[in-house]
Amino acid sequence: MLSRASLLSGQQFKNLLALSARAASTTPASSAAAGSGDTSAISRPARQEPGKVRLGFVPEEWFTFFYKKTGVTGPYTLAVTLSTYLMSKEIYVMEHEYYSGLSLLILCIVGVKKLGPVIAKALDKGIDEYETQWNEGRESEKNALQEQIKNEEQLQWSAEGQTMLLDAKRENVGLQLEAAYRARVQTVHQEVKKRLDYQVEIINIENRINQRNLVDWVVTKVRSSITPDQEKQNIDKCIADLGALAK
Amino acid sequence: MGIGDYPAEYNAKVHGPYDPARFYGKPDTPFGQVRLGEIGSWLARRNKHPSAIAGAFSRAWWRWQHKYVQPKRAGIAPFFQLVTGAMVFFYVINYAKLSKHKNYKYH
Repeated sequence: MLSRASLLSGQQFKNLLALSARAASTTPASSAAAGSGDTSAISRPARQEPGKVRLGFVPEEWFTFFYKKTGVTGPYTLAVTLSTYLMSKEIYVMEHEYYSGLSLLILCIVGVKKLGPVIAKALDKGIDEYETQWNEGRESEKNALQEQIKNEEQLQWSAEGQTMLLDAKRENVGLQLEAAYRARVQTVHQEVKKRLDYQVEIINIENRINQRNLVDWVVTKVRSSITPDQEKQNIDKCIADLGALAK
Repeated sequence: MGIGDYPAEYNAKVHGPYDPARFYGKPDTPFGQVRLGEIGSWLARRNKHPSAIAGAFSRAWWRWQHKYVQPKRAGIAPFFQLVTGAMVFFYVINYAKLSKHKNYKYH
């Protein structure tokens, strides 16, 4: 606890230092402190494959260590000669436990050879099942999230369609407005034309009436100005003309 | 660095998640590449503080664990390694008694 408290206080002190450095100078003094936060170079430890062994338990590296100097048989030669030396000098004492150990060793070898593959198969199956069981939730969660993303993209796509639809509607409203405007212009045109036609008709009628009145007046005036003598002379002239024509 | 603390050289921002099998200090020449004449100076450079020695054993233990015990499809090798190690250990500590069972007087 004490060490943790001291660590914490040290951290705070460092932060204070960085702050003061940043406040005191405009040079990028804090970049050195911040540079250690670079996460790109971090290597996470990964689970290893099991190390190779020979004779059931001796690491492969102990054999390959000899290869450069002694060749492939070197390690075995060393093991045999060393054990021969230890046994012949009785540094390794072969008492009664040695023979029970030998029988145990034989039992172990037979057991590993006979039962090993079966147990390994069962255990591999078990660990695979265990792993898939643990991964199942994660996978299903991932699939669900992917499904959600797909739905979201679909929704976004349809939302874009909505904007298109809105544009179309706006255009439609514009067209309707245009049509209404044109219809009103048409009505205005028709109404104005109707009134103008009315005016023209009135003027025409007035003209006609005036003309007729004038003509009537002139005719009556002329008629009234014709004396019976003149009429008789005229008729005579006509008869004379007809007589001339008949010749 | 007290008991239960990370090594002083370990920095989570630089090294990432803590790996108990990794040495976070400045690496020296690996022991396998040290020449015979340099072994003395190599040993002199080692940190002989009890906690450093304990740390070395801890790292070796975790390296062994990661290599043989922790893999997904670990075999029977780690059990036999432990058994063999135990056999050698108990043979050595009982050697004084076992040597009384020698059969020959002269070699």
